[in-house]
Amino acid sequence: MFRIKQNPLLAKKLGFNRIVLLLVLIAMYCFFAIFAKNFVSYNRLLSAMNYAYFLGFLSLGVTFVIATGGIDFSIGPVMFCAAIMSGYLLTHYHWPLWLCLITSILIGAMYGTLNGYLVAYKSVPSFITSMAIMQMSKGVASVFTKAQSVSWPQLAQENGWYRNLIKTKVGNVYIPVGMIILVVVAIICAIILNKTKIGRYLLALGSNKEAVWLSGVNVKKWEMLAYIICGTLAGIAAIFFVAAYTTVQPGYGDQYNNEAIAGCVMGGTSMGGGLASISGTFIGVMIISILQEGVLAIGLNKNYQLVITGIIVIVAVYIDVISRKRKY
Amino acid sequence: MSRQIQNTPVSSNKSIIRRLGGQNLVVFLIVAALFAFFCIVSPNFRRYSTILSILDYSYYITLIAIGVTFPLITGGVDLSIGTGLICYSLIGGYLVVYQGWPVWAGMIVCVLCGALIGLLNGFLVGTMNLPPFLATLCTMMMTRGLGSICSTGLGIPWPTAGTEGGWFRTIFKLNIGDLKLPLGFLWILLLVALMSFILNHTKIGRYIIAIGSNKEATRLSGINTKYVYISAYVISGIFAGLAAIAYSAIFASVYPGTGAGFELEGIGGAIIGGVSMTGGVGSVTGTLIGVFVICILKTGLPFIGLQANWQQIITGIVLIAAVLIDLSRNVKKGK
Amino acid sequence: MGDIILTMKGINKSFPGVRALNNVDFELYKGEVHALMGENGAGKSTLMKVLTGIYKKDSGTITYDGKVVEFANPREAQQAGIVIVHQELNMLGHLTVAQNIFIGREFMKGIKIDDDRMNVEAAKLFNRLNINIDPTEKMSNLTVGKQQMCEIAKAISHDAKIIVFDEPTAALTESEVNELFEIIRDLKKKDIGIVYITHRMDEIKLITDRVSVMRDGAYVGTLISKDSTKNDIISMMVGRVIYEEPKTESKVPKDAPVVLKVENLNAGKSVKDVSFELYKGEILGFSGLMGAGRTETAKAIIGADPKESGDIYINGKKVEIKSPEDAVKYGIGYLSEDRKRYGLMLQRNVAENSTIANLENFLNGIFIDTKKENKETEKYVESLAIKTPGIDQLIVNLSGGNQQKVILTKWLVRNCDILIFDEPTRGIDVGAKSDIYKLMNELVKAGKSIIMISSELPEILRMSDRIIVMCEGRKSGELRIEEASQEKIMHLATMGN
Repeated sequence: MFRIKQNPLLAKKLGFNRIVLLLVLIAMYCFFAIFAKNFVSYNRLLSAMNYAYFLGFLSLGVTFVIATGGIDFSIGPVMFCAAIMSGYLLTHYHWPLWLCLITSILIGAMYGTLNGYLVAYKSVPSFITSMAIMQMSKGVASVFTKAQSVSWPQLAQENGWYRNLIKTKVGNVYIPVGMIILVVVAIICAIILNKTKIGRYLLALGSNKEAVWLSGVNVKKWEMLAYIICGTLAGIAAIFFVAAYTTVQPGYGDQYNNEAIAGCVMGGTSMGGGLASISGTFIGVMIISILQEGVLAIGLNKNYQLVITGIIVIVAVYIDVISRKRKY
Repeated sequence: MSRQIQNTPVSSNKSIIRRLGGQNLVVFLIVAALFAFFCIVSPNFRRYSTILSILDYSYYITLIAIGVTFPLITGGVDLSIGTGLICYSLIGGYLVVYQGWPVWAGMIVCVLCGALIGLLNGFLVGTMNLPPFLATLCTMMMTRGLGSICSTGLGIPWPTAGTEGGWFRTIFKLNIGDLKLPLGFLWILLLVALMSFILNHTKIGRYIIAIGSNKEATRLSGINTKYVYISAYVISGIFAGLAAIAYSAIFASVYPGTGAGFELEGIGGAIIGGVSMTGGVGSVTGTLIGVFVICILKTGLPFIGLQANWQQIITGIVLIAAVLIDLSRNVKKGK
Repeated sequence: MGDIILTMKGINKSFPGVRALNNVDFELYKGEVHALMGENGAGKSTLMKVLTGIYKKDSGTITYDGKVVEFANPREAQQAGIVIVHQELNMLGHLTVAQNIFIGREFMKGIKIDDDRMNVEAAKLFNRLNINIDPTEKMSNLTVGKQQMCEIAKAISHDAKIIVFDEPTAALTESEVNELFEIIRDLKKKDIGIVYITHRMDEIKLITDRVSVMRDGAYVGTLISKDSTKNDIISMMVGRVIYEEPKTESKVPKDAPVVLKVENLNAGKSVKDVSFELYKGEILGFSGLMGAGRTETAKAIIGADPKESGDIYINGKKVEIKSPEDAVKYGIGYLSEDRKRYGLMLQRNVAENSTIANLENFLNGIFIDTKKENKETEKYVESLAIKTPGIDQLIVNLSGGNQQKVILTKWLVRNCDILIFDEPTRGIDVGAKSDIYKLMNELVKAGKSIIMISSELPEILRMSDRIIVMCEGRKSGELRIEEASQEKIMHLATMGN
């Protein structure tokens, strides 16, 4: 898909990859526009974007973790857990909405902290830790709500204003506020990753943890921070999930891990760590969102998308594996 | 010297007992203690029916745990077993219920599907060099989707006991008059014996351990590591297929979209049972005992008033604890 | 002595940037123990790896048992009867001794591996070799010496005609060495040809028939062991044309203060009771054979490896260094011998690699002051003559010498007062080498102090103001540059054998 002639500059290659990805995105949109009925409409696009918002936050978060050479399988269920618990506080205990939104983010951050602590300070392999956390977050959510699902208020209802976070009706037109927020957050992430010492240390330790450690950097602290960022963004994703889909049920959410990771890996973030691209992740997420909308539009169900995403990840990781083998 | 030669087999047995006995004994005591705890706290737990239900719910987890022991020993992991077993059961069940296939054929289909996904995993890991957790994560997603697609999104009720084809449920639970016999446990024991033999006494098992110990040295010894990886994952897949049969036999219906999380119970059981995350170490009997820690917790928690949901939290904690213990064990060894 | 069993003629082998073997000849008789000697990196192991099919030769012929052969992999060589006992152990720790010995060629009873027979065969083998090891013991439970014996037994069990021992005694105790020599004498009687790579002079007389010496990837000459002296061999080993003038006297002022003092440092098996002092403006050379404990000493000092005991004083003040973070805080920078593994962030660019140890200095709040970073990096790129298209070039695309300069830059940017250079010129070309020497001299002139660990004697003699020689984890001697010579260092480095 985006395999290219050997280019001396990996950095340039990343840029090239993004152009290819963008072409894939456009090609995919055209494909569905031709083969799916009524695909080309503003409403369709808005619906696809509903999916892109929460997935985008998840994917941006996990980009930081993968940049350090780790992985986080807990983001989907953690997002659900945050949405369920804060939603339950809102609907059953009548906490003010703003507090619930903050709580949601905090819950995400808390899971991220736990995850990061175990990985960085206790040397537990990240995929095992995060799978255990995934399981625990599912359990915590259903214990908290006694296994009930939680429905967040509709726009017309009391406390429904948070839904304007994804789209706001101005006159007769919906403005995709969510997209603006996602782009802003993505830009912030890109700045953090590329312009600040946080990002510098994360990419550095993803590239060679031993070397960074020998350079006198407290690598544990920074590694843990990556997971905290990831968790926090999962908490934000929760808000956008309920704003789009209203109801959250305990015990689910793990399929979104895979899609978030898929978006990230497709975008050129290397599983070996040390290379990450926020814009790549962004385009990757758009591809998956259009794909899922398109798959539904041509009359297939969600399950086909699981299979297709699985294959995409395999291809993307394989390309990563061979390009790393050739290089180093 | 001749004396030493004569003694060799004996001392080999001794060292096996010494090697595995310690850990297995401790885990066994934990199982016994957990069982005793629930018995004391909850009168209902003491019933024969409870023991039966612990066993009923243990079969499929035990089977995937036995299977995943092999990839774990190579130093990898197989995450596709949980959603996999549901997928295989859905496919097999769909053929039986909606396409009129005989039950035995459906069962064979389950195992074959498992072997096929195992083959795919082994290929991705062994030949394409993908990281095992990512490769099997992808097949996890794919099996989840495939299961639903093949069953057209419906829950599949395998034939109930007493109806035509319902005989397969007696494979795991035999009713003689009022007496219910947990026949499945016998099969588990036989499979444990078989897989122990394969792990410890055949070439493939030997090479699986060798790869987990030192992949490079194994390769230098002239062993084709690709095939060893593929075999390990195929074994895991076949056992996921067997687990699919066990699951179908115990539960009235199988629903698409479930199954995520089973793999953690299986992997957790194996690690508690002494399989090392870093590869090279593990035993099938250990896995069997380890799984029962999880199964008893799973069945017992509701009896002491904790909803079944707690069990997910407990699984997570137990898994992390087991890995931490494994890590500290390695640190000690390293010194 | 019997007939010739092996002739290697005109063997050439290059690795990217290095000519590892240059037209090497080698010859081995049946029933002969032929020692292969040379400094670290002289090409002994490479030659043997070419022989056993681990490396593919670029040119030259190998005649074995009268036939020209070319082995594609170690397995083919094994089947033909050439086996190698590696310096690094290739053991499978989780398997038993017998299982290790017969890995890949298990005895079968149907589909069952016949472990009993393997145990019996292994016991027989050990019995024949007079080694006392239980074949059913787990490999990881054995001492390193015993593991080595198992490797040797494994090699012998292949029915070999040629056995290559790559420094077999490095990890053995004295009694184990004697056992090994018994085995080797026994093998000799069976007309097996033995290549014996070693650093230990005294073993030459004890066990070998002939000695071939290699230097800088080339064959130097062959001596009859019993007619040659230790000095003959040493002068053959080190007798290269010294194009680098050795230092004749220390440039350190008499009254220079001690900047680093290490007292009775102990860490694991490889650092025993090491004490030394480093003066301001001094280059202190650390010499010794591979595995003498020099790198381990450095790592214990900077807190990368745990130390058991010992005190470290910096500028007279006792300090507690628990991690590299502490070491860098106290101004100690460590440049590792293994660049790729411990030094470079391959996927990142020159600037990022240069500033990683001192990022705090390039911050503007939490933002990185890229301008300042680039300016500083460019300054060093220029002054160190780092050949790179730009500072945003990924470091993986630079040559070894330039990579090394970037790592040096890292510590210069950090402005460390004490620098530990572990094999600073390993695997880099001559031009970059002399650049690095020049730089080191400038650094000490500017008041920095350098510990230089090096296995190249000419390098040690050219750069050091004072030399510490280590042997088997201990400091075996200290030489002022005025009194030092290659021969003296070699004597100290092989002391205690």
